[in-house]
Amino acid sequence: MKADKCGLFFESYGQENQIFPSPVQKTCLGAFLLFLLIVPFILDSYYLSLFNLIFIAVIGAVSLNLITGICGQISLGHGAFMGVGAYATGYFMNLGINFFEALLLGGLVASLVGIVFGLPSLRLKGIYLAIATLAAQLILEYVFLHWDSVTGGSNGLALDAPAIFNFYFDNDLKMFYLLFFFALISTLAISNLMRSKYGRAFVSIRDFYLSAEVIGINLFQYKLYAFGISSFFAGIAGGLAAVYAMYITPEQFGIHLSISYLAMIIIGGMGKIIGSVFGAVFITLLPEFLSIVSQHLSAFFPDISTYLLGLKEGIFGLILILFLIFEPEGLAHRWHLIKAYFKLYPFAH
Amino acid sequence: MRKIWLSFLMVLLFVSLATAKEIKIGVLSDLSGPTSAVGRPYAKGILDCVKYLNSQGGIAGYKIKAIQVDYAYNAQQAISAYKRFVNKEKIVALQGWGTQDTEALTRFVAKDKIPTFSASYSAHLTDPKKAPYNFFIAADYSTQIRAALKFFKENWKEPRAPRLAFIYPDHPYGLAPIPAAKEYAQEIGYEIVGEENVSLKAIDATTQLLSLKKKNPDYVWIGGTTPSTAVILKDAKKLNFSPVFFVNIWGSDENILKLAPGACEGIYSLQAAAIYGQQVPGMKIIESLTQGQVQMTHYIRGFASMLVMAKGIELAAQKGQISGPAIKQALETLRNYDPLGLTPPISYFPDDHRPNMSVFIYQIKNGKFNFVKQVDLERKKEWLGK
Repeated sequence: MKADKCGLFFESYGQENQIFPSPVQKTCLGAFLLFLLIVPFILDSYYLSLFNLIFIAVIGAVSLNLITGICGQISLGHGAFMGVGAYATGYFMNLGINFFEALLLGGLVASLVGIVFGLPSLRLKGIYLAIATLAAQLILEYVFLHWDSVTGGSNGLALDAPAIFNFYFDNDLKMFYLLFFFALISTLAISNLMRSKYGRAFVSIRDFYLSAEVIGINLFQYKLYAFGISSFFAGIAGGLAAVYAMYITPEQFGIHLSISYLAMIIIGGMGKIIGSVFGAVFITLLPEFLSIVSQHLSAFFPDISTYLLGLKEGIFGLILILFLIFEPEGLAHRWHLIKAYFKLYPFAH
Repeated sequence: MRKIWLSFLMVLLFVSLATAKEIKIGVLSDLSGPTSAVGRPYAKGILDCVKYLNSQGGIAGYKIKAIQVDYAYNAQQAISAYKRFVNKEKIVALQGWGTQDTEALTRFVAKDKIPTFSASYSAHLTDPKKAPYNFFIAADYSTQIRAALKFFKENWKEPRAPRLAFIYPDHPYGLAPIPAAKEYAQEIGYEIVGEENVSLKAIDATTQLLSLKKKNPDYVWIGGTTPSTAVILKDAKKLNFSPVFFVNIWGSDENILKLAPGACEGIYSLQAAAIYGQQVPGMKIIESLTQGQVQMTHYIRGFASMLVMAKGIELAAQKGQISGPAIKQALETLRNYDPLGLTPPISYFPDDHRPNMSVFIYQIKNGKFNFVKQVDLERKKEWLGK
């Protein structure tokens, strides 16, 4: 960047392609990451547990965003792909394989399963693909429930806390760093993927499959790549969720999980990595926030407390709808506007 | 201004005095999720019991503060609520609810040493090797079905083996007792003729019942929830299919009388607690607490669950310490503790958390639940956790 010019000037494609083009961005991000690194020393374990749930949700949401937001293939089976990763990780860990390898294997198994269920995507688009992936969700749930020797069937599967070289990640503080590491790596990996040949191919498939094919993208191949990569990270998210709770049952990976991840990327902003992060934070914290509010309210009105507490789910739904009406492009768009406002201050147009 | 300050200080003082001797317990309830129809009365039972105990002066001089959170039957919300309970509210014990939250929290409560009572009666939660801090107050699902099979076999007069069939949802909760039931049925001489899946959300069960009808069973087990049971019973009546139906604890509560009037006549309901108005010592308390408004049996189980937990806390307090491990140890010394007659007597052992081996069998006659018998089984080692 030259000192005599205002704003960012790029002189090569490489420069323009940077994830974090300006020094300000780099500093802010650095400061934010540093802040996250010291946060565990300030907050107590309840807030850390929220962070942990958010980290897991971020990985899940970013990976769903890759397939649905970036490549345009609606997936209603994301929760089940996470389940595959969770069960595979659990299974391999119980075989005595160490945590890192088990998690990677879990991701790979999820990736394979994702590719298999992605096969119909060549022929099916839009709502039809949604139904096909819904079928994947139901089939996988059935497998979780009935493949007793691997999944533990209805009794579920118990896991030990993850360990690396005999260091056990057995409390929220230790889990925080582990999950933070994975969330960071996954987000960076997918952001990087976006600016590669693959990322551009995915976007072109989303924008118009015919033009994508005309310019020489093998649709089938790239759609399967998208399914594979997305499910890999979903599997990682699932595996991490499994070692975090240390107990998995088929019920945890039901259709409601797929829907809540879709809600995350819609609220956050389809196709935007930062949007998935916002969405994950929002959807994880909103019920918690509402339950604290309703808990305090019901302390004042003890007689109708069961109704007040129960109201939470309704309010959750209402907020989602309002969001879709007033913020249709998601939190990422709002974030963009806020940044633009400060950038142009005081000369906003 | 001064007056306001003074009153504010008074309030502060009052609050701090009130909170000085207090035990906090967490209550995870489903008030708005898929199981809220039964979750609400159960949670009300717990909270009413807390109210009752506090009106009696609390436990060993401590007031109980129950902190309720609605987790909408969602494991993730259960985890974050639980973390808040443990880290913010410093609870000493937890009243949980369904399979979803109880199993998701099994390892957490073991690690944090929080004794947890649930209304998920899966047998594997009774094995302290796998779930050291989990307790519940009803016979587990497998024991319930075994007790019913024993009861019917004892009353079976014909020379041939009774024919048995199962209807259950293809769902963790429905599947849980089936292997145990099959094994026991064969052991005591039933002939198993068929099994069918009816989903918890079913609105029609004709196909499944037609195929069962051909196999002509004498006894049919229905596992499920009250709405799915109602569908099965109504369709069975339509098809003139009338074996002896026996239904599990969550599948045949008082709502069945409204959902399947007539069709539910004659069915057997397996329960673990008294029904409202039954002549047991604790019913007076419940009737005065609820001002005579009829409550479902789940309410009474919630009430009893809290009573047993309170007993554990009281015993721990007598030994001088109220903490998770102390409450667990105290609970494991309970021998035939009678929660005011609301459930069969309860015992826990350090290596066996089965509360009892007793099941209340009710039959619906003339649109009413009639107590038939309390069936007791032997506390067999090999049944633990299965």
